[in-house]
Amino acid sequence: MSNIWSGPIEKIDDYRWRIPKTYKPGMRVPGIIYCNEKLLKDIRNDKAAEQVANVAFLPGIVNASLAMPDIHWGYGFPIGGVAATDPEEGGVISPGGVGFDINCGVRLLRTDLKYDDIKDKISDLVYALFNDIPSGVGSKGDIRVSVKEEKEILIKGARWAVEKGYGIEDDLDCTEENGAMQGADPLAVSERAYERGKAQSGTLGSGNHFLEIQVIDQLYNRDICDELNLDLGQVTIMIHSGSRGFGYQVCEDYTRSMVHCLNKYNINLPDRQLACAPVNSEEGKAYLGAMKCAANYAWANRQCLMYLTRKVFEKIFAMSWQKLGMFLIYDVAHNIAKIEKHLVDGKEKNLCVHRKGATRALPAGHPALPSRYKKIGQPVIIPGDMGRNSYLLVGQDKAAETFFSTCHGAGRLMSRSAAIRSINPDTLLKELESKGIIVKASGRGTIVEEAPQAYKDVNEVVNVVHNAGISKRVCRMRPLGVIKG
Amino acid sequence: MKDKTYEILEHTADIAVRIKAQDLKELFKNAGLAIFQISSRKQFAKNKSHIDLSIKLKADDLEQLFINWLNELLSLSATHNLVFYNIKINKLGGNNLEAIAIGNDMGNYKVYTEIKAATYHQLKIEETKEGWSAEVIFDV
Repeated sequence: MSNIWSGPIEKIDDYRWRIPKTYKPGMRVPGIIYCNEKLLKDIRNDKAAEQVANVAFLPGIVNASLAMPDIHWGYGFPIGGVAATDPEEGGVISPGGVGFDINCGVRLLRTDLKYDDIKDKISDLVYALFNDIPSGVGSKGDIRVSVKEEKEILIKGARWAVEKGYGIEDDLDCTEENGAMQGADPLAVSERAYERGKAQSGTLGSGNHFLEIQVIDQLYNRDICDELNLDLGQVTIMIHSGSRGFGYQVCEDYTRSMVHCLNKYNINLPDRQLACAPVNSEEGKAYLGAMKCAANYAWANRQCLMYLTRKVFEKIFAMSWQKLGMFLIYDVAHNIAKIEKHLVDGKEKNLCVHRKGATRALPAGHPALPSRYKKIGQPVIIPGDMGRNSYLLVGQDKAAETFFSTCHGAGRLMSRSAAIRSINPDTLLKELESKGIIVKASGRGTIVEEAPQAYKDVNEVVNVVHNAGISKRVCRMRPLGVIKG
Repeated sequence: MKDKTYEILEHTADIAVRIKAQDLKELFKNAGLAIFQISSRKQFAKNKSHIDLSIKLKADDLEQLFINWLNELLSLSATHNLVFYNIKINKLGGNNLEAIAIGNDMGNYKVYTEIKAATYHQLKIEETKEGWSAEVIFDV
């Protein structure tokens, strides 16, 4: 199959490009891709732009089918896609607009440690973290839960972990949705999903999931850094994981049932993977209730992973995590659908916002922010690849045009098979080591698949969202130690 | 030597696969086995016991049956901790499927990649001169 996309695309300004509504009959709104000329060339190399156009077919979609600069080819929605639908106008919810890894997301912890404090301990830390945090395909953790407890996790999310002693109240304040979406419905979850999620709490998973020790190497906004107690040379930790097998099964169950909804509700779509149902239908409500369970499961999981990380640091530094200043900056979801209030033509509406490989980015003063971030806006965490950088951003007022959404990472450039063909794992590890980066992974294949050259340059991606005004750079980190699944 | 029953196609983020077979039953079998051949390799023989799982599925059309079948295998593999190394398709017709999947403990395998699910995106199932072929994208 040829993957080059040659459809029509019009320049709106330096950072926004439009796929006209006339491109395909059935598109209800245009597509808008946030990118620059350089990234656009990469975007045309696969079918991601076609997927932006396909999402524009969704009933009730508002304004445009949006894509962030880290957009790449997925299935159904593109990765980096954002779509808001209006339930009052027959708006739909699509499990494919969230993805299989529901509430895949990332959290960032600060520490009081400076680079000099850890430079001789990076190897010890990486090995200890790799040893104590279960990772890899189908990994199972030491944090075992009973069936009754599993249901509790689905309702309480990260709070469940905090009540078990795996964290503090402040962690919840620094987590999107306080670590639990309200309205999770365990009855909407299949037995199979429970079975698939069992024993995977507190595990990192595989693929692009990781845990990274980083150091801040660039400040962009001194005032916000001061507010967050961050400075050059300071050590941070980033954790990227999701809802594991539990979320995959919820997505699979509901995609299966919503394929039938296309006929039932007379919905015409160019791709069945976009299968959906009206938000207010029985099927739509059931999916949302189940999806929230998976989202809460993921928040509990990342809370457990943070707990295990704090324990490792305590062991290596013989000091409590509080004394090490290991406080959570923020935790964001980047695969999720939510009912949120947004202004449409000057009128406040409850919209169903799908973010598939995109991050919520609320501006300063937004009512949904915890009081500690009212002044600066919501911290947005952008992981890069393991050889380059990651970023901390904050939301901006202008992001109202993207339903307060921004990018979620670097975005893939090269297929996994091309990476395996062209990259030698030993050479790659040596290259990373020469840059002072120690990597430990469950499989050598993962290291190659996740090699820096397989990704777009995150610096380029972040430049676009910053210059387009949908989020603002705060500081940049570079990796020191990486644990991959 | 028998021709390989599948080939990997280019896809930026996920795994796209083309599967070939002489008939439809074999297409379902080869597609099911491709999942496990792509994602794992037998390394040990710690646990020699084999488990047969019976699978019965009904769908509205062939594409749905195909995707449901692959996802059923992925889901059963995860919940039973098994790698399926053989499949017997007993009945396939009228969008109904009856099959036996034969698995071995996952601990005996080195699993490289976690395949999350099979997707409908750009799914193609067609009868060819040589038999049948399918193209499917797996989310990884």
